[in-house]
Amino acid sequence: MAGRDPLVNAGTVRVGPMVFVRLKLRLVAGNLRGSTQRLLGFVFTTIAALLFGTVGFLMMSSLRLASADVAVETVTVLFTVFLVGWAIVPLLAFGVDDTLDPSRLALFPLRTGQLVTGMFAASITGVWPLASLAVTAGAVAGLATGIGGVLLGAVVVLLHFALCVMLSRLVTTSLSGILRTRRGRDVLAVSVVFIVLAAQLPNLLINGGVSADPRAVLHALASALSWTPSGVAARSIADGGLTALAGAALLALLIAGAGWLWIAALRRALVTPDASTQGASVRNSRGLPAKVLPDGPLAAVVGKEFRYARRDPRGRVGWFAAIAVTGVMAFSMYGDGEGAAGGVLAIAPACIGAVMISIQWCNAFGIDGRSLWMNAVAYGSDRDWRTDIAGRHLAVATIAVPLLLLLAAVAALLSGDVGWVVPAALTAWGVLGAGLGVGALTSVLVPYTVPERLNAFTGAAPGQGGIAFVASFGALICTGLLALPIVLPVLLGLTWVSALAVPYGLLLSWGGRRIAGKIAFARYPALLQATSVAT
Amino acid sequence: MADITEAVRTRGLVKRFGQQVAVGGVDLVVPQGGFAGLVGPNGAGKTTTLSMVTGLLRPDDGSVHIGGADVWRDQGAVKARIGVLPEGLRLFERLSGRELLSYNGQLRGIPKAEVDRRAEELLNVMALTGSADKLVVDYSTGMRKKIGLAAALLHNPDVLFLDEPFEGVDPVSANTLVEVLRRYTASGSTVVFSSHVMELVERLCDWVSVMDRGRIVAQGPLDEVRAGRSLNEAFLALVGARGDGDPAGREGLSWLGATPS
Repeated sequence: MAGRDPLVNAGTVRVGPMVFVRLKLRLVAGNLRGSTQRLLGFVFTTIAALLFGTVGFLMMSSLRLASADVAVETVTVLFTVFLVGWAIVPLLAFGVDDTLDPSRLALFPLRTGQLVTGMFAASITGVWPLASLAVTAGAVAGLATGIGGVLLGAVVVLLHFALCVMLSRLVTTSLSGILRTRRGRDVLAVSVVFIVLAAQLPNLLINGGVSADPRAVLHALASALSWTPSGVAARSIADGGLTALAGAALLALLIAGAGWLWIAALRRALVTPDASTQGASVRNSRGLPAKVLPDGPLAAVVGKEFRYARRDPRGRVGWFAAIAVTGVMAFSMYGDGEGAAGGVLAIAPACIGAVMISIQWCNAFGIDGRSLWMNAVAYGSDRDWRTDIAGRHLAVATIAVPLLLLLAAVAALLSGDVGWVVPAALTAWGVLGAGLGVGALTSVLVPYTVPERLNAFTGAAPGQGGIAFVASFGALICTGLLALPIVLPVLLGLTWVSALAVPYGLLLSWGGRRIAGKIAFARYPALLQATSVAT
Repeated sequence: MADITEAVRTRGLVKRFGQQVAVGGVDLVVPQGGFAGLVGPNGAGKTTTLSMVTGLLRPDDGSVHIGGADVWRDQGAVKARIGVLPEGLRLFERLSGRELLSYNGQLRGIPKAEVDRRAEELLNVMALTGSADKLVVDYSTGMRKKIGLAAALLHNPDVLFLDEPFEGVDPVSANTLVEVLRRYTASGSTVVFSSHVMELVERLCDWVSVMDRGRIVAQGPLDEVRAGRSLNEAFLALVGARGDGDPAGREGLSWLGATPS
């Protein structure tokens, strides 16, 4: 049906893929306007992408120097990494790019076909997609033989690239309904930790000396992957003959299949409303200390912190990350710490755990962020702010103290002498106290906003990355220095010093709270502003 | 010395953001008791003024007195006496409505049993009992305004500051909000709120302050400010209907509307 306005009608102006490409470029440009920091960041990523593309291309080309088998196997593995990367990375950074969210385009009179080609074009616009195409193209230079092989190889590379993009669109579109709901985003935010961990896995395996022979590992991996689309693509490029044609046909078929699924998902996503407001009720539990503590602000803050640790994905991610990083570091220490004394192996993991946990609180007000005004309108003195920080510390300590004890026990068991558990736990508790004291200061001196929507690449609001870096590294270094007086003697064998660790930690955290309370009261309007930056 | 019948009085309040002067010397006066409206176009500085008055944003210059006490010098005394609902509905998202109220009450040192009693009554009056155990993040706009108002009322303040309390609220919830506020002011308490809805300001307020471009352009009893006109007319005359082009003009937009056949 034609509209009542003859000019507003499909057909008079073609909405082709170029419109979407220009929209994407505009969005990128608009995002950079007026912010030197973001502009610098953009220049930096562009350079990084160019480097990645060039170096990747050259490395892929240099596979020609390796034996044919190794070359094909390497390309198989790398192509698979690309395919999986394309499927996962945009998911973790969902919201970075407005052209990717189909719901924003739902109201425009576009046919699904136009939308598909347009969004496809938009998603290959950008420095990273082009860089990854360049690296993929390196495989042609590295594997193909003869002019026919190069031509077919180029086709296969383009097809594989298109498959990557299609898969990535298919995944984000079919999940976009979930990603728009609160619960879906919560789950995704927490899963970020596991993906970051999974990325650590190969590193850990190699560190642990599990891999005997890299050549054998590569062969095993590649043969497992040989019938995936990436494996087919790699062999097609190397073969160049009829097999290559068959491979290209298979890839084209897969693209068509993924495209069809994508269109179906897109159709559904455009008409499915967000049904996330039907939230369930929550249990009303406050955690043990809030029940024991007398009524008042301290109990209120402790109770709130407990609920946030459990209900806010950012809180959960913080705890998971602290434990995971500790595990990774401890594991790699066992890997190459053969000569170290038993005491070191027992004490170091617990202390690292204490530092990692306390670092999560180097921006204690960041998660409250935009709701912190509620505390500010109630607090009329530096004592109130000190109580608030004490409540946060108490909540952290209630979770961290048993956790560190457990960690110390496990580490002591592994080190071969269970007796180490006492000094290890005591020292770790002391380090935790020092870390919390330092964290109280960084929380009020260099506060920053923790975005509602976490992604794997940044923990701060746009433009505050530098502040976040200063806060966490400043806290890390200061905690390390302040912890030395208790950790070093214990590590050197003066075990009795660990008896002083807990009083030392308590003193430092008390001092930190006292100074931080005064600073917070003096500059809380700035604190409110820094923690409520729009994200 | 501040007049004791004045609930709020600011003198020469100034706030600059970089080059831009958001509030340029505001002398806001609000008498004790009843509703006072703060009206003005977008960007007039209403939110900035209210933030400075409620102690959430430090003014570059000037002073604020609430009930005779200096907001920035005597914070403890002032903060116990005021309730605030800022713009943007920024609440603790991961608490349930009931938990949010009890958090606020305990933060202000009210005994737990009393907090629970008041919270229950407020939830009941605000028609939020059914959603009291849902997380605030899942609340609708109207529910968020209501729970925010309940949290601001919990400690029974003398003066209540509300920034755009009726924006985006459905008529049923708006009516609930008005009823609660009417009961609150009936005993002599003061409500200061900013709004774009002139009919509502006209219906509720006895006192109006009109802001434009960071200054107060008119202030006084409602009848004095509107001077025989409707408040909407008076407001448009005060701030000038600038930037609207030529609404009655026939130039441009000739294509808009049904196509003549």
